Amino acid sequence: MGRWWLSILTLTLLSGCVSSTKPSDFFALTPEILTHRAMQTRFFETANEHELLSASAALLQDLGFQIDESQREVGFLRAVKERSAREYGQEIGRTVWFFLSFGKVRQPVDLHHKIVAALVSRPLNPDATHHEVRIAFYRVVWKGDGQVDYDYIPPGAQYMEMVNDPVVYQQFFAKLSKSVFLEAHRI
Amino acid sequence: MTTDTSPGSLSLLRWLLLIVLAGVVWSPACSPYEMRHDKQSDARSQIWLSEDSQVKVRAAQSRVFDTNDRRKMLEAIVMTLQDFNCKIEVLDEELGIVSAKKYAAFERPTFPDPSYFLYQPDTLLFLTRNYRDWGPFYHRSDLVRLTVTVRNRNDSQLIVRASAQSYLRAVEDPLPYQRFFRTLEQAVFLESHSVE
Amino acid sequence: MHSKMICVGILLAGVVSLQGCAAPETQQDLFLLTDAQMEIRSRQTRTFDVTDRNATIRAVIATLQDLGFIIERAYEDLGLVTAARFAEPNYYDVVTITVTVQEQTAGKMSIRANVIYNNQPIEDPKVYQNFFVVLQRALFLPGESTPSS
Repeated sequence: MGRWWLSILTLTLLSGCVSSTKPSDFFALTPEILTHRAMQTRFFETANEHELLSASAALLQDLGFQIDESQREVGFLRAVKERSAREYGQEIGRTVWFFLSFGKVRQPVDLHHKIVAALVSRPLNPDATHHEVRIAFYRVVWKGDGQVDYDYIPPGAQYMEMVNDPVVYQQFFAKLSKSVFLEAHRI
Repeated sequence: MTTDTSPGSLSLLRWLLLIVLAGVVWSPACSPYEMRHDKQSDARSQIWLSEDSQVKVRAAQSRVFDTNDRRKMLEAIVMTLQDFNCKIEVLDEELGIVSAKKYAAFERPTFPDPSYFLYQPDTLLFLTRNYRDWGPFYHRSDLVRLTVTVRNRNDSQLIVRASAQSYLRAVEDPLPYQRFFRTLEQAVFLESHSVE
Repeated sequence: MHSKMICVGILLAGVVSLQGCAAPETQQDLFLLTDAQMEIRSRQTRTFDVTDRNATIRAVIATLQDLGFIIERAYEDLGLVTAARFAEPNYYDVVTITVTVQEQTAGKMSIRANVIYNNQPIEDPKVYQNFFVVLQRALFLPGESTPSS
């Protein structure tokens, strides 16, 4: 009886599975792509790409990021910050599960995450008098340990998500345009 | 003592029971390693550092040097980072970026684990899809990252800014930065002053 | 009699189980190029009439960003870009792409893309066609690119 109950519980936990994108859809232009592009991109009326990149690096540092990679020739910067990912909501959820399963299930919760900003600048015209800056934020999350009955779930399971909150991008570009004394134009 | 059924002692008993129950539930629900991590309502909010801490920290992290020799400054920064036994990861002379990392043994593995020492967590973007183990996992907390940027303030001055991350937090204590800049001053043979 | 049967049974079981122990013979077809693979290569490669190598690499990066990929590495001197993307909303399948840019002759840039879904190379020509269509737009080029032989 107890086992049966447990397997139902495990199934419920696992039932978060969703269908994935087909490989042929990866390179299709969807409307979503355009919205993301508009959100992540701004252009600046400047010929000084160097200053754009340098200011971006300084701004990311201001926001607590560490520069992880710099390929100036192609205008590529990557910055990361690693933080605790524990959330109250998940802790409460875990406690509820613990109660409901009579102490048999201890759900793993998010423990660490790495927030990454990938930034690329590029000239928009042959004379390179206009440059666009595109930034994408995403995070990679590691889960902590857990337990189902006597089976221990080791920590470290990962997942990843793109940050698609427009406010984050708006704030970033507002700060960047302030630091280069230039207006950030929407594409 | 006889059985006391007065309302006061009953509620006390009830409270005691509740506390014991909460304790029983809480103790296995949280491992000590997890407890050492900060909790928040939304982890995504960490994309930003709060404005207050930005202003507070920026002053401690920045120094002005009366020189315009960027190259010499970058060489001195690399030397200083080597003094601190850091591994240089990024060095961009034109943009003036130096990034380094080191592992501090905050979370020492309980037994010698080769995977802990050999694991290269940053060689791949998405890390390992299948490898889930304690060793590399501890790495995330042990990783100390440091970024130093050099920017021109004017024709004769450079601003050097150092920022660090340690045990999954931004380092906001001014002391480590003071130590860093003291060593850097000795390496460039120059006095620095704080940004007004 | 009975014990003999058991003995034979154990022996048989042993032989059967040993079969599974031999390592699969992979060495022989490792790095073996077949005609089919040569054909795939031609699907993966396109030549564009552009002169600026740096701009081409930047266009490749912009294309991949447009398609929702995360740039992992980008080297100007090698003409190499690698990027990856999860099969969202599923986090168990990942697509990685490697793009190389080479100058064939003056004014002709050869671009090769290599898409891998988990560990499986993608051979579907449509996937590559789609990629090159988007790339072409990023390069501001009119008309069709020439599939290289």
